[in-house]
Amino acid sequence: MLRYAISRLLGAIPTILVIITLAFLLLHAAPGGPFDSQKKIPPEIKQNIERKYHLDEPLYGQYVRYLGGILQGDFGPSYQYRDTTVNEIIREGFPIDIAIGGCALAGALLVGLPIGIMAALRRDTGWDHASMGFSMIGISLPVFVVAPILILIFAVNFRWLPAGGWGTGSLKNVILPAAALAAPYIAYVARLMRGSMVEVLNSPFILMARAKGVPQYLVILRHALKPALMPLVSFLGPAVVGVITGSIVIETIFGLPGIGRAFVDGALNRDYTLVLGVTILYGVLIVFFNLLADLSYSVLDPRVRY
Amino acid sequence: MRFWDDISWILPARKSTQERDRQPRRRWNLAILCAIPFCLLACGNQGHPLISAPAITVGSTLASEQILNRHLEADPRTLDPSLLTDVVGQRVLDDVFEGLVTLDEQGHNAPGVATSWETSSDGKTWTFQLRDNAKWSNGLPVTADDFVYAWRRQVDPATGSEYSQALAPIENAMDAAAGKMPPSKLGVESAGPHTLVVHLRAPTAYLLSLLTNAYLGPIYEPAVKQWGDSWTQPGHLISNGPFLLSERVINGHITLDKNPYYWDAGRVRLTKVIYHTVGDNDATTSQYLAGNLDFTNRFNVSETELLKQVLGSQVVLSTSFATAMFNYNFAKPPFQGNAKLRLALNMAVDREILENYVDHGVGIPAYNMIPPLEGYTQAIPDWAKLSPDARHALARKTYQEAGYSDAHPLEAVLTYASGGPGTRRYMEALSAMWLMNLGAKVQIYNEEWKVFLQARQMKQPEFYWAAWSGDFPDPFTFMQLYQTGFGMNEGSYSNPKYDALVDQAAGMQDGPARFAVFHQAEEILNEDAPFLPVYYYVNPHLIKPYVKGWQANLSDRNLSRYMYILTHQES
Repeated sequence: MLRYAISRLLGAIPTILVIITLAFLLLHAAPGGPFDSQKKIPPEIKQNIERKYHLDEPLYGQYVRYLGGILQGDFGPSYQYRDTTVNEIIREGFPIDIAIGGCALAGALLVGLPIGIMAALRRDTGWDHASMGFSMIGISLPVFVVAPILILIFAVNFRWLPAGGWGTGSLKNVILPAAALAAPYIAYVARLMRGSMVEVLNSPFILMARAKGVPQYLVILRHALKPALMPLVSFLGPAVVGVITGSIVIETIFGLPGIGRAFVDGALNRDYTLVLGVTILYGVLIVFFNLLADLSYSVLDPRVRY
Repeated sequence: MRFWDDISWILPARKSTQERDRQPRRRWNLAILCAIPFCLLACGNQGHPLISAPAITVGSTLASEQILNRHLEADPRTLDPSLLTDVVGQRVLDDVFEGLVTLDEQGHNAPGVATSWETSSDGKTWTFQLRDNAKWSNGLPVTADDFVYAWRRQVDPATGSEYSQALAPIENAMDAAAGKMPPSKLGVESAGPHTLVVHLRAPTAYLLSLLTNAYLGPIYEPAVKQWGDSWTQPGHLISNGPFLLSERVINGHITLDKNPYYWDAGRVRLTKVIYHTVGDNDATTSQYLAGNLDFTNRFNVSETELLKQVLGSQVVLSTSFATAMFNYNFAKPPFQGNAKLRLALNMAVDREILENYVDHGVGIPAYNMIPPLEGYTQAIPDWAKLSPDARHALARKTYQEAGYSDAHPLEAVLTYASGGPGTRRYMEALSAMWLMNLGAKVQIYNEEWKVFLQARQMKQPEFYWAAWSGDFPDPFTFMQLYQTGFGMNEGSYSNPKYDALVDQAAGMQDGPARFAVFHQAEEILNEDAPFLPVYYYVNPHLIKPYVKGWQANLSDRNLSRYMYILTHQES
């Protein structure tokens, strides 16, 4: 398995290189530059600034310089936040995305899994229809509808939780954004779990276990859960990245200092280095979590061998 | 029956005749389900069913906790005064640094680090006397050399300042910024630790206003030498204003603590100011309603009426020194060389209707470029005083004289930068007015901001959005926009008579005579119509009733130094 993991990781290098190159070229091809503003800068002064950031060099020179920087772990200075480096922005913002995303995903699993399993066990009952119905609403309602409603109820009306901001990063700052982000994932997890559980419960080995007289909870925990988790694991790989990167809307509504918002602002302001840095980070995350999902198949299903 | 049994309508499975019979009732359930959140929202409020705010009783004594939660509509690009370009950065730096001149509670110029100043008879040399009790946040005195260093740093090409042209009135500033001269040749020198002499290229009436900006404040050289680019980080930053930087989270918040070394610290009542970055207007409103913000610089203006109902006098709309306009391109048909056509379009716009019904009354209808300014008589064109019907008739007549008619209508494209749905609605209303009042077919076309800026710089659009916010309360900041060859004159307007008048006024010393010359120049603009003014901007604020010590002002700068918090109780 180690050899498989290493070969997959090595295989990811060209993928990431392609991502960097494409992102670099696309960004530089976009009209307008990082230092264009309504207040027009005299050309000589603009040249000064471009020289400071090496933007006056030919494109391949900038590209080589940038790759050299990445190899040393330096994503360069941000053009948008002029007294800050991209490394600092990522270092400050990324833990917040992880905290919100992590809590959202944990919440989605804690709530979604039992709902899905219960629905599968009580197939075609009121519970099944109700939970699957609600999960359909969860999938259909966009975050930008759920989040303001949560804010209005819990922050504006009852004042139990802050309406936004990160503060010192305490739990109460995390709850609302994580809940809003988790809503659709709860629904996905519940529906996926119900589907695969129904399928597994119909298989002969479950019938066998039941025939042996194994109690219901043990049938579920020991025999059915593991195979039923397989589709969920395929979903979780991209979902982890999704909750971490997909919080841009959440960050905007709750005014959170994550990198998602910096990423979007960076793209609008042609902050080449910031956008590239975050793109690379997201790219690496996707590759890594997909690999992790693939590797965990072999843990869950003894038939899978690497 | 359990309530969830009835939610089976969501699932496509199990269609039976019995179920189909229940169709109407199921719809009813859907309605109830959708209504739940709204019923929850309505709980416990007296005002509008969707939003609520507790009633606040304000006492007359100072609150024991003097912490102010202020708002930033975007994250500052930098806290380095030499690199400052944005309004939000200015808000923070107004509290952290203090220049030779500062602003008083009303927003007027007031002595800052300088206690007094005098001008030479030709108005080109200014001598500032610095107060001897001005200190850096490490306790060391602020000297004239700190200003000399800061200003030289601002024009030094190595600094890469985007706004070094702000120093243009100072001798040799532009040559130094362009690298043609060393920064040491800049027209500023210290004549002793507490005397600063500034040499100007020409008399500059707005110099004092300019000096209130952080980019003309002092900088503590040893901090820059020690920390390099990271000298503005909390812990590294040495400043001389009423507050110190104690924490900065990018896109999050900036926390300032009272500076004990500030020369007037005895009169600063706030102990802490927290600036929260909230970009989204709806999020700003909800954070204000939830009590996270005490003083906002924005809100969703389409909710103005609603918020006024709920919050009353907490909604503050103050006039600002900014005008929304559209520029005509003089280098391209159809507007090139056709003043009558430009005038006809200007006359055909019903600004009152736009402001009252489309823009929700948060702009003030504008018929000229320069917003209301103390001491300045605006040049309002005569047609602006006509009744709508008479104005439309004149517009049609002028349109025909310009060579257009129903049979041969104007076909033009109006370009603007993408904004919210409100922007689009506004442009559509404008286009409809030209069609209705003139029969002109003006298409609207939007572009992403940076793409739009580039198109403007390449002088591509024939008719485009061109709002301008004055850098200082003086007509010159607007007037220079239409001078021949000025960088931002992207419409290529040129009138030697206008140029001469603006140059003449710019070189005059402050006073009514100077404003009279600007007035003459503005009248020329009204005849030539190089632009179409639509409204003066308004600054929308939400301010808690217990926050005192601020006054709405033209430049929308309210220093935390004067603010304080009264005892208050929410119920």
